[in-house]
Amino acid sequence: MAADVESSLELSLSSSYVGPLPPPRSRILKIIVIGDSNVGKTCLTYRFCAGSFPKRTEATIGVDFRERAVDIDEERIKIQLWDTAGQERFRKSMVQHYYRNVHAVVFVYDMTNIASFHSLPLWIEECKQHLLTNDIPRILVGNKCDLRNAIQVPTDVAQKFADTHGMPLFETSAKNPNDNDHVEAIFMTLAHKLKSHKSLMLSQLPDNTIHLEPASKPTMTCWC
Amino acid sequence: MAQPRPPRLHDNGGRDFDAKQKRKIAEIYQVLNNEPVDIAPLRRMAISEGGLLVDEIRCKVWPKLLNVNIDDLLPTPEEELRENSKDYQQVLLDVRRSLRRFPPDMPDEQREGLQEELIDCILQVLQRNPQLHYYQGYHDIVVTFLLVVGERVAATLVEKLSTHHLRDFMDPTMDNTKHILNYLMPIIDQVNPDLHDFMQRAEVGTIFALSWLITWFGHVLSDFRHVVRLYDFFLACHPLMPIYFAAVIVLHRASEVLACDCDMASVHHLLSQIPQDLPYETLISRAGDLFVQFPPSKLAQEAAQQQAERTAASTFKDFELASAQQRPDTILRQRFRERLRAEESAKSLLATKPRTNRFVKLAVMGLTVALGAAALAVVKSALEWAPKFELQIFP
Repeated sequence: MAADVESSLELSLSSSYVGPLPPPRSRILKIIVIGDSNVGKTCLTYRFCAGSFPKRTEATIGVDFRERAVDIDEERIKIQLWDTAGQERFRKSMVQHYYRNVHAVVFVYDMTNIASFHSLPLWIEECKQHLLTNDIPRILVGNKCDLRNAIQVPTDVAQKFADTHGMPLFETSAKNPNDNDHVEAIFMTLAHKLKSHKSLMLSQLPDNTIHLEPASKPTMTCWC
Repeated sequence: MAQPRPPRLHDNGGRDFDAKQKRKIAEIYQVLNNEPVDIAPLRRMAISEGGLLVDEIRCKVWPKLLNVNIDDLLPTPEEELRENSKDYQQVLLDVRRSLRRFPPDMPDEQREGLQEELIDCILQVLQRNPQLHYYQGYHDIVVTFLLVVGERVAATLVEKLSTHHLRDFMDPTMDNTKHILNYLMPIIDQVNPDLHDFMQRAEVGTIFALSWLITWFGHVLSDFRHVVRLYDFFLACHPLMPIYFAAVIVLHRASEVLACDCDMASVHHLLSQIPQDLPYETLISRAGDLFVQFPPSKLAQEAAQQQAERTAASTFKDFELASAQQRPDTILRQRFRERLRAEESAKSLLATKPRTNRFVKLAVMGLTVALGAAALAVVKSALEWAPKFELQIFP
């Protein structure tokens, strides 16, 4: 599993070698966002990357990509969000290419749609098949919490599910302007955790070689 | 037959342009007025500059291109259509979110009515053809027909289209769709091997073109006039033409692609943001040209090998990374070239062969007009497109 993480970082760092002295590269965190159709994956990723709720979103066909650079402890890190199609037929043969080298997985369900919650075991299973390791951080996001009168997935049920699978749970709304900090916090927490993740630490590359710190066994923690 | 009302022409070409279009409209009506209607000239005119020009003509010609008799339309859908459909929920979700497909100045009420019709139209075709499976993006195609020809004719045309052009996309799995996407890189390779190599090294894959292919660009182009222009072209051509058009767009943006970071994210991001000001007429004729030069039969084998090649490419990439300090670009590219040399010479054969009989082929496929009225221009553009091959033929 460490090998996977290493190779992904090698790709991130060395992919655009342009001259004898490569410019300082910001590290890249690749996060894949998955879940049923219409749970709000596009809105969540858009919210984080553009800072607002998109006026109109459409069905995502295949895979969309959004990116945002953040500074964490004075280091610039690029957070790449890969927003995937929810329809089952796409994920079966199309999406697996995008699981490669991901650093984290975000599962999304719609709090007002119990079916999208019930699909989660399928998504988790699917994810296991594509990722060779269980050590990649995963988080669970219940979206649309602003629709209070329509909630079908009680928090305690979701929390229990999240605990069973060793994932932190966040309930949020990509739409509610008051929740902007919250959406921000979800991804920033993830970025902070990944940054301090031992297996992800690496020196910059002044001498064109890539040193990786010995990967220590990461422990899964709840970040709630 | 109603007289054509003056079309809504754009003011970009001046009088000549205007006159040319008027002439074309008259020609199309002339063909339509003869019984039985000769389809070949209609196909040619759907491909050639401007396509079918106005929706009024599209209403008449699209059914002909699909060989649909508009006196024999699908019946009105039954009452229980929605209850009996396993796809209703998904279709509903997708149609509700498809606001961008409707003209921005359309009143909400009218749009909502059309959205209801859109749902019924999709479900009816699916219900009548249980072998067809709904995919997200299908609604982008159906809405185009709905907006141009109206509900009843749309359902009938879309049924025909779904059992023919879109058939592969509607299989139980997307394996065949993936296979069609596998044509993309070989086409690019034929014209611009450097671009092809760059994209392979970036491991960008082909998913950036997925929505282009399965919606016939309806999902990604915001100007409806461009969408219908492309539909004229695709309806008149081989079902694989959209993948040639996708390749032509990538080739058109070669310098942008080569200037971006050679990694999956950067290249995917660049290519999936399709520019809205593409020179459509030029690209259409290039796509037609490429289709003639490298027909699907020629590319089939390479497309089938894409999977194996991809494995080879990633091995190569590891090798490249391992030798990061040995001026990889020079050395590895030389080695890569050596490996490709055999293939390249095979390709130059491939490129010369069709040229000898291309005019025969053009006539057969009805592409002549797509390639420009003047044959000279055709040859010239072909030379511009394949300078590498020319050099190899005449060293």
